[in-house]
Amino acid sequence: MISDTLNTAGAIAKGMATTLKELFQPTITEDYPFEPPNFEGRFRGVHVLQRDANGLEKCVACFLCAAACPSNCIYIEATENTGDNRVSAGDRYAKVYNIDYNRCIFCGYCVEACPTDAITHGHDFEIASYETGTLVYRKEQLLAKEPQGAPAK
Amino acid sequence: MPELVKFKLNDKELTAEKGTLLIEAARQNGVEIPAFCYYPGLSLQAACRMCLVDIEKRPKLATACTEPVMEGMVVWSDNEKIHTARKTTLEFLLTNHPLDCPVCDKGGECELQDMVFRYGAGGSRFVEEKLHVPEQKWSPVVYYDAPRCILCYRCIRICNEGMGVGALGLNYRGVNSEIVPNKGDHLECEECGMCIDICPVGALTSGAYRYQTRPWEMTYVATPCAHCGDGCKVTLSVRNNQIMRGNNRDASGLNGEFLCIKGRYGYDFTHSAERITKPRVRKNDELVECTWTEAIAAAAAGLKAAKTHGVIGSTHTTNEENFFLQKFARQGLKTPHIDHRRSADFPALMDALAGRPATPSALATSRDVLEAPAVLLIGNNPTDQHPMLAWNIRTAVRLRKQHLYIVNRASIPLVAQAEAAKIAKAGEEIEELERFRDALAKEKDVVIIFGSEVKGADITKLVAFGDTLPGHTRYIALADNANSRGAVDMGVLPDLGPGYQPAAQAGMALDEMLAGNLEAFLIVGANPARRYLIQAGKAFVVVQDMFLTETAQIADVLLPSAGPYEKGGTVTNTYGEVQRQKLGLLVNGAKTDLEILSLIARAMGFDLGAANAATQSNEVFEEIRRSVKGYNIAAAALWTGSAVPAVTLNGAVPHRDRPDLIASSNDTLFTSGTLGRYCSALSAVAEAKERKNPEGIGK
Repeated sequence: MISDTLNTAGAIAKGMATTLKELFQPTITEDYPFEPPNFEGRFRGVHVLQRDANGLEKCVACFLCAAACPSNCIYIEATENTGDNRVSAGDRYAKVYNIDYNRCIFCGYCVEACPTDAITHGHDFEIASYETGTLVYRKEQLLAKEPQGAPAK
Repeated sequence: MPELVKFKLNDKELTAEKGTLLIEAARQNGVEIPAFCYYPGLSLQAACRMCLVDIEKRPKLATACTEPVMEGMVVWSDNEKIHTARKTTLEFLLTNHPLDCPVCDKGGECELQDMVFRYGAGGSRFVEEKLHVPEQKWSPVVYYDAPRCILCYRCIRICNEGMGVGALGLNYRGVNSEIVPNKGDHLECEECGMCIDICPVGALTSGAYRYQTRPWEMTYVATPCAHCGDGCKVTLSVRNNQIMRGNNRDASGLNGEFLCIKGRYGYDFTHSAERITKPRVRKNDELVECTWTEAIAAAAAGLKAAKTHGVIGSTHTTNEENFFLQKFARQGLKTPHIDHRRSADFPALMDALAGRPATPSALATSRDVLEAPAVLLIGNNPTDQHPMLAWNIRTAVRLRKQHLYIVNRASIPLVAQAEAAKIAKAGEEIEELERFRDALAKEKDVVIIFGSEVKGADITKLVAFGDTLPGHTRYIALADNANSRGAVDMGVLPDLGPGYQPAAQAGMALDEMLAGNLEAFLIVGANPARRYLIQAGKAFVVVQDMFLTETAQIADVLLPSAGPYEKGGTVTNTYGEVQRQKLGLLVNGAKTDLEILSLIARAMGFDLGAANAATQSNEVFEEIRRSVKGYNIAAAALWTGSAVPAVTLNGAVPHRDRPDLIASSNDTLFTSGTLGRYCSALSAVAEAKERKNPEGIGK
């Protein structure tokens, strides 16, 4: 009976010692949503369509991402670059580029398939919505910002 | 029985017909010998060095495409030596070939891509910079990207030999070699696009298709072409209810891989901005858009109020629609006045050939033209009006030594292939035939092909002439449009019902109807106002059409109909071969002519059957098979994509001769009646401006 009591008190003391010790250690959990979360570099979030150093779109509308996509969520319409409307560095560009985030499973196959490194995974993940219609992202929403001081097109 | 020879391929004993090329003999026995420049039917080139094989007792590898099989030959197509040779050949082909597959139109269906994947080495030893030459635009429909070209010369040969045009040639030598068009920097030719189709890589690309999509993104629908009466099949590449391109690489039709500019590029009327997609009703002398319910009710009321009716059918709608139309006229409206624009005198031909057995038929098919030892061509200009017929004749003359005899009012391009040609004055074609009598008497079997120049009594004279020839003489009458023959076979004529049976009561012909005092007209897919004066306001006019044509503009009720690529059914080409038309895409707002007719029939209280839009086309087809003489054709063959000849020779055809009504619209390669006006690619090419349709009539 007495030894039981002593044993219990010892166990509590041991446990509390750990708690007290950890109390003064730096925290490892994150304070999301009050602070932005930290990501590993390879985190697969909402896609970003990259631009090259001249501000032109890297995407040449080859459709390989759409072909690689297992959930069939990428829709592209291609058209030809012309002299006065040059959008990408290649012969053609994506006139329409939609990703349907209702279907996307963030597997990254599109990124692997891309021959021009145009499509990448960004770190945005807060895309929950009450309306599925808003989950079809258009090219304008996916494109990276034009670099500062890019030459005029 | 052809002589067979034995040879050994990869240690297997095989046999092949004597004289077969090794590459073909291997293919027949299921062994693939890769090649770029070899193409069945074209002259041999041995340019690509891809088909190298190892032949016993030969010190060097030999090209399988130029080597006929010989008795006792021992060949290897799959050893270490050949693997190395293929890898090296492909490495050389890729010396200057850009690796821009992601943007190249051919990516995914490129023969070079496939070959490198299958036989090529993983890397290249070349470190030198690739030669770059800017892309050239040869015409609105043909673009040439020289660096991609692997110099197989297929395009040059198909243009020279297949098309007989010879618009392509070669400039410079070695790595600088380039294909050049006949006018230096641009093309002047038939714009058929065969060079684009036959190109194994993406060097020649189509202006209408380039940089728009990728081959695996589309669905493919093989359906008869909407334009001339030849009945070529065009494989439409469709994406999101939009036709991206037309070609026939799958060789699914009568035409093999052949297509002219109309078949290949003439699909864009489907997406024309001028398509009508809402019904219109005339109110206060203006056509205003309305709902389908309103329009059908207005059409039914107007037709019901009139005591006399005239019905005009189309040469573009399906057999089902034409059959239903004549049923609608004869059983529904109870009018005998029904006609269409005729361009060949089929009733006179069937009458002249009455009593001949079904087999061997006195009517020739398109394949017969290819196989016949001799062809007599009277009138017409097949190069412009029946491009597949011209292609078949050229092929037969080239590969089978066919003899071609021509009687024409002018010197046509096919004269280059002819054994003998005579220029005849208008109306004297039959008399001119006597000059060929001795030559034709020496031929085994002759296929006689005639255009709209021969009609009425001349056909009887022609058949009498054909009967004097030894051998089995067969005939083909050339009609203008995709279903001109079908319209006649289905009885869209005032004096004949379906299957060339006399109508219960003979009605007025097209010109009489339009000049007469009929109270109402139903015009389906035709544009008679282009040739005849129809007095608007005098009669109540219901028009079913895709566009606001001259006729549609005077309509009281205008109903937007679906185009030929937007519906199922069957069509009969000018040779009498029935083919199934497949639904390629849907266009919002339009209904098929059959559905529109059945809706009007229901609104008018006619019981004509086939009321369910989903199944009506098949229902009417079954009715045609049951009731139209000669159309009891094998449905299974039709359903699997074959062309089945209708047996339309069924005894005497008592008809009323109206040779004055039979006229071809003499469409060129760049016009196609009213329909051609809405095909932007046809009018975009420079040649279209030079070769205007002389009479300016059509449809």
